Amino acid sequence: MKISLTLNGAPRELDSAPLVRLLDALRGPLGLTGTKEGCGEGECGSCTVLLDGDPVNACLVPIGQCEGRAITTVEGLGEMAHLSPLQRCFIDEGGAQCGICTPGMLISAEALLRRVPDPDEPTIREALAGNLCRCTGYQRIVESVRRAAELLREGAAR
Amino acid sequence: MVHGSPVEIPRPSVGVSVPRVDGAAKVTGEALYVDDLPKRDGELHGATVRSPVARGVLRGVRLDPAFNWSDVTIVQAADIAVNTVALIVDDQPILAATHVNHVYEPVVLLACADKAKLARAVRAVTLDIEPLPPVFDMEQSLAKVEIIAGEDNVQKRYLITKGRADVKVEPGAVNGESATAIDAAIAACDVVVTGRYFAHHQEQMYIEPQGVVAWWDTDGAHATGSIQCPFYVHKAFTKAFLLDADRIHITQAVTGGGFGGKEEYPSIIALHAALLAQKSGAPVRMIYDRKEDIEATTKRHPCICEITSGCDRDGTLRALSIRMIMDGGAYVTLTPVVLSRGTLHAAGAYRWDDVRIESIAVATNTPPNGAFRGFGAPQTIWAIERHLDAVAKKLGRDPIDLKEQNVLREGDVTSTGQVLRSSVAGAECLEKAVLASDYRAKRARGPVVSGRTARGIGAAVFMHGAGFTGSGERYLKGKVAVDLLAGGRLGIRTASTDIGQGTETVFRQIAADAAGIAVDAVDFAVPSTTTCPDSGPTVASRTVMVVGSIVENAAKQLSARVRAEVEAHGGTFGEATDRLIAREGPITSLLQYAPPSFITWDDTTYKGDAYPCYGWACDVAEVEVDLDTFEVTVVDFWSATDVGKAINPVMCKGQIEGGSLQAIGWAVSEEITWRDGHITNPRMTNYIIPTSLDAPRFQTILVEAPFAMGPGGGAKGIGELPMDGGAPAIAAAVEHAVGVAMGSLPLTPERILAAKQASERTSA
Amino acid sequence: MSLADLHFFKMTREPSLDALCAVVAERHAQGLATILYAGGTDWMVEQEMRAPLHDEPPLVVDIGRMGELRGISLAGDSLRIGAGTTYLELERSAVVQARAPMLVRMAKDVGAVQIQARGTLGGNLATASPAADGVAALAAYDATIVVKSARGERRIAMADLQTGYKKSTRAADEIIVAVELAPPPEGSPWYWRKVGARRAQAISKVALAGVAVVENGTATRFGVGMVSVAPVTARMATTRALVLGKALAEITAEEIDHAVDQDVTPIDDVRSTGEYRSHVARALTRDLLRQLGARV
Ligand SMILES: Cc1cc2nc3c(=O)[nH]c(=O)nc-3n(C[C@H](O)[C@H](O)[C@H](O)COP(=O)(O)OP(=O)(O)OC[C@H]3O[C@@H](n4cnc5c(N)ncnc54)[C@H](O)[C@@H]3O)c2cc1C
Ligand code: FES
Ligand code: FES
Repeated sequence: MKISLTLNGAPRELDSAPLVRLLDALRGPLGLTGTKEGCGEGECGSCTVLLDGDPVNACLVPIGQCEGRAITTVEGLGEMAHLSPLQRCFIDEGGAQCGICTPGMLISAEALLRRVPDPDEPTIREALAGNLCRCTGYQRIVESVRRAAELLREGAAR
Repeated sequence: MVHGSPVEIPRPSVGVSVPRVDGAAKVTGEALYVDDLPKRDGELHGATVRSPVARGVLRGVRLDPAFNWSDVTIVQAADIAVNTVALIVDDQPILAATHVNHVYEPVVLLACADKAKLARAVRAVTLDIEPLPPVFDMEQSLAKVEIIAGEDNVQKRYLITKGRADVKVEPGAVNGESATAIDAAIAACDVVVTGRYFAHHQEQMYIEPQGVVAWWDTDGAHATGSIQCPFYVHKAFTKAFLLDADRIHITQAVTGGGFGGKEEYPSIIALHAALLAQKSGAPVRMIYDRKEDIEATTKRHPCICEITSGCDRDGTLRALSIRMIMDGGAYVTLTPVVLSRGTLHAAGAYRWDDVRIESIAVATNTPPNGAFRGFGAPQTIWAIERHLDAVAKKLGRDPIDLKEQNVLREGDVTSTGQVLRSSVAGAECLEKAVLASDYRAKRARGPVVSGRTARGIGAAVFMHGAGFTGSGERYLKGKVAVDLLAGGRLGIRTASTDIGQGTETVFRQIAADAAGIAVDAVDFAVPSTTTCPDSGPTVASRTVMVVGSIVENAAKQLSARVRAEVEAHGGTFGEATDRLIAREGPITSLLQYAPPSFITWDDTTYKGDAYPCYGWACDVAEVEVDLDTFEVTVVDFWSATDVGKAINPVMCKGQIEGGSLQAIGWAVSEEITWRDGHITNPRMTNYIIPTSLDAPRFQTILVEAPFAMGPGGGAKGIGELPMDGGAPAIAAAVEHAVGVAMGSLPLTPERILAAKQASERTSA
Repeated sequence: MSLADLHFFKMTREPSLDALCAVVAERHAQGLATILYAGGTDWMVEQEMRAPLHDEPPLVVDIGRMGELRGISLAGDSLRIGAGTTYLELERSAVVQARAPMLVRMAKDVGAVQIQARGTLGGNLATASPAADGVAALAAYDATIVVKSARGERRIAMADLQTGYKKSTRAADEIIVAVELAPPPEGSPWYWRKVGARRAQAISKVALAGVAVVENGTATRFGVGMVSVAPVTARMATTRALVLGKALAEITAEEIDHAVDQDVTPIDDVRSTGEYRSHVARALTRDLLRQLGARV
């Protein structure tokens, strides 16, 4: 089945069996291994990507359902040389330790900040509740998101 | 290079929260974890056929003749040169050959290029196992209802004695002289308290499951993966494949958390992948899915502690007798070391005149238990802290007063006879945590009931030995190489891995300051057994304190040479370096750890300096207990933690918060449930680790009581300490809130309700 | 493991509900199953745990964007919610916020945002698990389910939906189109309390949904649904009768406990114990009635 979609802002086309998980399509034929697999059943959130702007678990989405839709992965947030404020804050505030939850965590945070520019702590925690982290205790992640929201409000470029 | 951060890093960098060096790669998705590594030519997927039976005789393996096996590689025990996982005792086969001793024990390995076919192949293998009666319970194992391991099911014993009870007896003598002596010491005390405490399994639940890619070529065997200790895997390969050391190449991929779970277990998955690769002649990728990872890999050891103690009426602790049992699981693996650390921490952070601690690890027909942050100490600290809470109750005092009165101070002597000469901060941590949390006022006020919830507060005081036990470092001879590089840069080569805790960054800070150069002038090589010397394993809170001090010395040595060159012939640090290299060729400082000379330790009597130094801490937890549902919410969590010297404060806090949340999960929601040796909840949906909504606000106070021999001006270990205090602090807070004293973990609502109902029945 | 088998499945999309009904009917007649893929949050997880396929896999039809299963509308006294509505859409819907706020509250407790963005009411009802939060909330509203097949459309009252553990009166060829409910007057009291092993990403150990209309200290409408305390979503017939039968202030704790004990038959499983569930079932019911004005 031929599938056309928008991936990180660019049109992409691939030929895939339709029920193949978006996660496997991203990590395989689409060549983006930033999206991680921690459980394969919607619990850990390390596979989180944006599907038309909302965060979803790429391990539960079949690629066939992505026809004509827009996907954003961690690779779409920024590059090594041009980090987004959110990415920069995760580094500076200690929001990433082992880093395996980080791509999914960043995507959930991105979804939040696009809708809510000035989230309070409970709102941040709720937005990240589908992303399990075993390293940080979450506090520094919450700090990272709060700080990024501040920077964005001060006009930092995404 | 420090990427992506516009922040100028000041010099010296120690004490500054230098941004994580590997951060940019991690936040952009560029970092390559094992399953992200590009596919190698002809690569196959590997899978494991595991025993469904807890104990039995392996009569045979049947391969379905109707299945087309032509493109499936099959490895069985007979294919292995030496069928032993090299660790402490050689009792664990790489693949079961004659017997199975736990459910999930690997028996057959399969590899195939087609994943869907591989899944079918696993089902086309039938294991013919004649079941034998299994033992799942550690007390039944000790009682020898069945002999399942060795002569008596016992994997290891220790005996610690101190004071009046200190008469030589054979370890294991239950009614020997020393037992009577301690009983006499306790009997002489004003107040005697006895209790029994249980700590349960815990799954590490790193978010990245275990995985390895292995292949063979003209250089020998290669394995790359999610690995905490590359040289463990190296040792395992040497033994199993009868290979020379230089024909084995083990390299760490970026690792998505370990917490001990990737200390010894990766040897097994790497051996499996390499066996399949050897037989098939193709590279083999083995990545566990979450279920297999939970089922097959190690967990924290369950532990029972029976404690009897005596103290004066004024609360002065006098005599302590502990009998503890740990469940090692089916094979010994690292159990002797875990039991050792558990035993050495069993007396807590307190002064006792007379001590007798007898510890035993027994086998059960469950998957081997292994390394997990804290390494036995959280289990025994749980017990002693709960016990002291009970003693305080009997004395009619607040537990914190009793703990403050008895906490070890400078000059005091531990249960192994170690005189604590310096870097002792228990009292300071206690004071700071108590102050920050307003503990005393909140305790005095009593539980605050509002609506259908009750709030309570509780504390735990503890210490954790940094580095290897006793003479461990002396045997280990950890090494580090630092290269002097063109332009005045340094390159660190060490087998110490960064599994998220920040080794890469912190080592750079230490080296940069030692050499007087910028942090981004220091490189850190990917840990590999081929290019890096054996620095010893990344465990035991030893990386910064021990390996970091070697890095520091090596960097100092090199910079001294460069500075001498500058002095003699002028120029900048970079120019002088280039001249030196041009003159002498490559320049490397390869140093070995020199343990502090004052350390004396006797492995046979278990006496002396158990650890070079200790990290100290006091945790205070404030909880809200729902009076309808008995759900426990940890609302606030204060931790005053002594790290010696905080080389990177943000990372230190990250370790403390992350470790504390693991302790919180262990205390309130995490639980492995079993049926006939099978795990009934091997999924993230029913093994419950905390989410961001379950985590409390952490208020972390860094205390610095420097250790003279620690790098960067006195750093000590921080990795494990934060795992120790959460559970007892929470249990104390729950007791404060609802009046039930729980001695068994976990504190699930079901258990609290049952305990409350039981206590209401007895009081009625 | 058998996730690798996903390669073997075929997926189609149908232009209309009628066309979908025809495809399902035709396959049904041949004894073939059809999977309707909505959010996949139930189905994909089942695949992960399933043994490798032996036969031709069932056909999958993507219903994720089928217009006739979508949309939320209020017509007179009836709120109609398309079966393809996700939890996130419920949360964001102004009509649902105003007229069925308990559904919004329930939706926020399903999994976490990622699950809420994908999981649908239709999927929740189709799986018909006693642990389904959405089913309990709809039971409390005494909703009606609109189903359609090639044989035509019919309505199933929530009370008649479940017949046993994950069994329902919906025929295999019937597609859930929408749910309809009569919302209580705006501002009426409602109750949602979920007890899970953690605050998100948790399947209910017990959850209680309730809606009520109270006039002069007596409930004139009272609907409840309880999660994970029986093989089917508990509709709590005895408790309903007790509450509708007398002034709230006169109801005693003992009466409540007694009624709840009649209404639930909880068991031990991997998530909790029967004993705990019984206790929580009583405690939550008391809490609900306390909030309505019972002096318990
Ligand atoms: C991590 C996680 C957390 C979860 N948490 C919760 C929770 O807190 N509470 C809860 O109740 N559930 C929870 N669930 C379960 C699940 O999300 C819900 O049941 C959800 O509503 C299912 O909807 P879906 O659209 O994803 O169903 P799908 O998986 O798409 O479909 C499920 C089944 O229903 C059938 N089906 C779907 N739509 C229709 C239709 N319109 N007509 C007929 N048949 C149909 C499908 O054929 C399939 O057999 C959780 C799941 C996960 C993975
Ligand atoms: S891999 Fe998708 S949620 Fe865990
Ligand atoms: S940083 Fe390791 S899991 Fe979050």
